Amino acid sequence: MKWPGKIAVIAAVALAAAGITWSIKGPPARKLLLDAATLKADEVSLRQIPKITQAGLDFPEIRKEVHAAPDVNIVTTDFEFTNKSDKPVSVIKYDAACSCMAVSIKDSKLRYAPGESGVVRTEFNMGNFSGEVDKTATLWLDGDPEDKPSLVLTVHVVIPELVSLEPKTVKWEVNEAPTPKTVHIKINHSEPIHVLSVTSTNELYTQQLKTVEDGKTYELIVTPLDVKTPSLGIMRLVTDSKIKRFQTQMAFTQVLKPRLADASK
Amino acid sequence: MKCPIQIAVIATVALAAAGITWSVKGPPNRKLLCDTTTLKADEVCLQQIPERMEVVWVDARPRKDWEKNGVKGSMLWNLDPAEDMQEFEAEAAVRIAAIPRVIVYCSDENCGVSRQVAERIRKMDLGAEVSVLRGGWRALSEAKRTKDSKP
Repeated sequence: MKWPGKIAVIAAVALAAAGITWSIKGPPARKLLLDAATLKADEVSLRQIPKITQAGLDFPEIRKEVHAAPDVNIVTTDFEFTNKSDKPVSVIKYDAACSCMAVSIKDSKLRYAPGESGVVRTEFNMGNFSGEVDKTATLWLDGDPEDKPSLVLTVHVVIPELVSLEPKTVKWEVNEAPTPKTVHIKINHSEPIHVLSVTSTNELYTQQLKTVEDGKTYELIVTPLDVKTPSLGIMRLVTDSKIKRFQTQMAFTQVLKPRLADASK
Repeated sequence: MKCPIQIAVIATVALAAAGITWSVKGPPNRKLLCDTTTLKADEVCLQQIPERMEVVWVDARPRKDWEKNGVKGSMLWNLDPAEDMQEFEAEAAVRIAAIPRVIVYCSDENCGVSRQVAERIRKMDLGAEVSVLRGGWRALSEAKRTKDSKP
């Protein structure tokens, strides 16, 4: 083989190797990579803003707020979409950022012709989550690299707390006057929930349960018997809630060294 | 020169170049890097926590993972519906009374459970400083700060 031929063979082999590498590993990442986990409180990554036009699928809402009923375990949220581009769009992959959430697409249909509509369904298992939680589902469309999905759908779930204790902990500094302090118990439910009993792990505190409004509001008045040394008490409240996770609640009592008491104020 | 020989020559040259690059620049860095300037308000890098520092480590992973391996002395607190949240609260209260510094870790940096657990511990209002570990379990494993790590 003559030199021009050899060079051509070498070039062909090198190009083939480069092509295989490209197809396996994808194109070189020369773009700015922003990891959402490293964002500061007031920052947003462009990836978090959906590229609806580029993706071809039009989602009227990519963030939904759901107020969960207190007695449900699974919160289901549907995200409707339409292919508003002039060519078919395929969903190549979808996933949830948390094992507590399942993602599915209606009828398992992954390819959408122009004008066709579909639904992404998320099912969030509330488990023992409480308060307000953001959970996301991610969709990769035609040609999306692994690290750059086209769409991130967010479900903002508001989980009710039927029994709230405020404050959760009552504190005294060492050598402070042992005056009684109050934990306010509020029932945030349409039906009454009664506090049936209160027990404490520590005999150095006495507690008295006072009914302000039966089934709605209570006061737990706590008094330390000894404020000379640091101590901790755990109070367990039992209610008649029909929902298991609201049947017991905890409150805490503490006598703290002054330094710790300052830090916790 | 025949084709197989040419390919062998090319491969040898490429391997030699790769070897020289490796020896000069070192192996590719695949370790988790924690940049303290990018931390969120409630996050902490593992390098900010000296090994001898007294900390209540809270493992927010599933129980089976914690039982298999965790940080020495850590306590479990996840949001699995099968778990008893009151037991977790009680154990955390007792530990925080002795050590008012808590760090919660999860499976990886995208796990939101650690942040939820940290929020719950803060709501207990026991005066503890509560942080979430950036990089979670991966950071601990790479730094060999887990129970089964060998020096």
